[in-house]
Amino acid sequence: MYELLGAGIANIVQLKYLIPLAIGTLVGVIGGALPGVTITMTIIVALPFTFGLDPLQGLSAMVGIYVGGSAGGLITATLLGIPGTPSSLATLFDGFPMATKGEPGRAIWLGIWASFYGGLLGGIFLIAATGPLAKFALRFGPWEYFSLFVLALSMVAGLVGASLLKGLIAGMLGLVVTVLGNDPMMGVPRLTFGIPFLAGGIEFLPVLIGVFAFAQIMTDAEKMGGTTRIVEAVSAASVLAVSHLKVTWEILSRPFLLLWTSLIGVWIGVLPAIGGSAANMMAYDQAKKFSKRPDAFGTGIPEGIIASEASNNGNVGGSLVTIMAFGIPGDAVTAVMLGALTIHGIQSGPLFISQQPTLAYGIFAAYLIAHPLMVVITGIAARWAVKVVTVPKSLLYPIVLVLCVVGAFALNNTMSNVHVLLVFGVLGYAMVKAGLPLAPFILGVILGDQIEINLIRSIMSDPDPWLFVTRPISGALLAAAVGSVVLALWQHHRAEAKRRGSDSDTPMNAADF
Amino acid sequence: MGRDAITGLVVFATSLFLFWATLKLERHPLVPVGPEFYPQLILGATALLALLLVVSDLIAHRRGRVATRPTVSTARPNYTLVVIAFAIFAIYVIALPYLGFRAATFAFLVAMPLALQSPRGDRRRWRVVFVVALIATVAIYLAFEGYLQVLLPRGRWLGF
Repeated sequence: MYELLGAGIANIVQLKYLIPLAIGTLVGVIGGALPGVTITMTIIVALPFTFGLDPLQGLSAMVGIYVGGSAGGLITATLLGIPGTPSSLATLFDGFPMATKGEPGRAIWLGIWASFYGGLLGGIFLIAATGPLAKFALRFGPWEYFSLFVLALSMVAGLVGASLLKGLIAGMLGLVVTVLGNDPMMGVPRLTFGIPFLAGGIEFLPVLIGVFAFAQIMTDAEKMGGTTRIVEAVSAASVLAVSHLKVTWEILSRPFLLLWTSLIGVWIGVLPAIGGSAANMMAYDQAKKFSKRPDAFGTGIPEGIIASEASNNGNVGGSLVTIMAFGIPGDAVTAVMLGALTIHGIQSGPLFISQQPTLAYGIFAAYLIAHPLMVVITGIAARWAVKVVTVPKSLLYPIVLVLCVVGAFALNNTMSNVHVLLVFGVLGYAMVKAGLPLAPFILGVILGDQIEINLIRSIMSDPDPWLFVTRPISGALLAAAVGSVVLALWQHHRAEAKRRGSDSDTPMNAADF
Repeated sequence: MGRDAITGLVVFATSLFLFWATLKLERHPLVPVGPEFYPQLILGATALLALLLVVSDLIAHRRGRVATRPTVSTARPNYTLVVIAFAIFAIYVIALPYLGFRAATFAFLVAMPLALQSPRGDRRRWRVVFVVALIATVAIYLAFEGYLQVLLPRGRWLGF
């Protein structure tokens, strides 16, 4: 393992890979810093640029965006009081007060270094856990895969923050999308309504791009047409110089906080589709609970910044584990990465690490090297970020849409995917307005084909349906799926009871994000 | 009837329609699981869940406790602008094969920002929109066609 990792690092430090990684990290930091532009959108925009690159170059750029984006949000959260991404929301609670008290440099660098250490702890987990988990997954037959996918869908449906029922409906709608086209066994056209393009099924990338990009852009467009201006930045933004030794000591002198909040991030990352937005809120909440001075949280203390930033970068490592060990995207960003792998003809899943060790360890190496790059780039970018974030969205969003079109078109050089982009853009916006969560929908679209194939394979091997329950791993996974649904129902009832028992201005909890 | 009930009804009707369409699928005598098996399973479950959503919303309304989430913004959404933005994007998509990437994209990058935030009499903003549209079109074209070898759409009418 260490030799492969060493070879991966030696590979990545070559300019051929280092440049896409550095550019990706820079783009990620900028995308993360732009309020309203999520990491998902940044990676979607960058996706078409990776088509012409070799797989490791493209994936290095994406890993850079993911790592940079997770840290970039802290710049605006700290200096402007506006979280650049939902995953930096909790950073704002203490980062902005600290900055307004005249310590913007300390606030920024606490966040950057906490992101660095949290990310590296996530990296240790990523490297240590992916191999054993993939080996374990090799024992899976179609029954286990089917049950694993059902578990992933049920967890996402229950944990996205909307009602469980709506989460399940969104997931099922995603599965419906994958039913369109020829059936995988005999090639019989299903629900194609005479449209030749549908015979091949719908590719998931234009669906993903359309749903996420339009859901965000059009929701923002609802508020446009006025004269909304971004609030003034912290005036002392120019004074960002600090003693790095002092800041590092501030973080490392709280080892339990750093370790615990990073682990929360990693664990949330491993759970499908919850993402850094929940991780940073949960970590902040935990840091507050374990603190000797919980009342000081929100007034500009380092613990709040460390908890939030260590968790959201630890989350990146956790998310990468699920995609590399099981082929299941941990969130929307890794879903796009999964798409990038597919474009390059690479099948992710348990065999990925053994069949493509150079690529797998190249990704690990890119992840590790992206962190020092992130520190340097975020530190430099913070000086100019305040100017960059004032770019009007009315100018930015049309360019993003053009890049979405290029990304969809370049998949196979046909306009059909651009039409899919438009149709699912409308659907994505409609889903947001209907209160249907997008994450289970996308997971359904991604996993739909695999669920069907594994279900049919298991029935063809042995028609006894009880095998799904009696095979130990499959049974345990299905039990976990039922457990996650029951837990979500219980949480919902508890929240309802609380809501009824208190006034209407109940504070929001982490799951709402 | 609330938003959830309407959503549930739309999903229910769509699922039933698609379920009906799968009834026409022919089974192959040699394959134990026909092409209709999985779609019917999925569509049946979707219809059932949608029905549950309708019922739960109706019950909630009857009890007079409709879940309301706190909203961050109290401003009224500008749906007209959303419709206009979708229309401009749809026109862009339709125009791409006729005008080609360069002309259609430039026009789109001028039209969309102007629709999203009208410059009215602000001459400087007009200039900014045109310059950004020109630079972005050229940059995207050169990056994809020149560097990444992605062939972008050519226009049937304009020939480039």
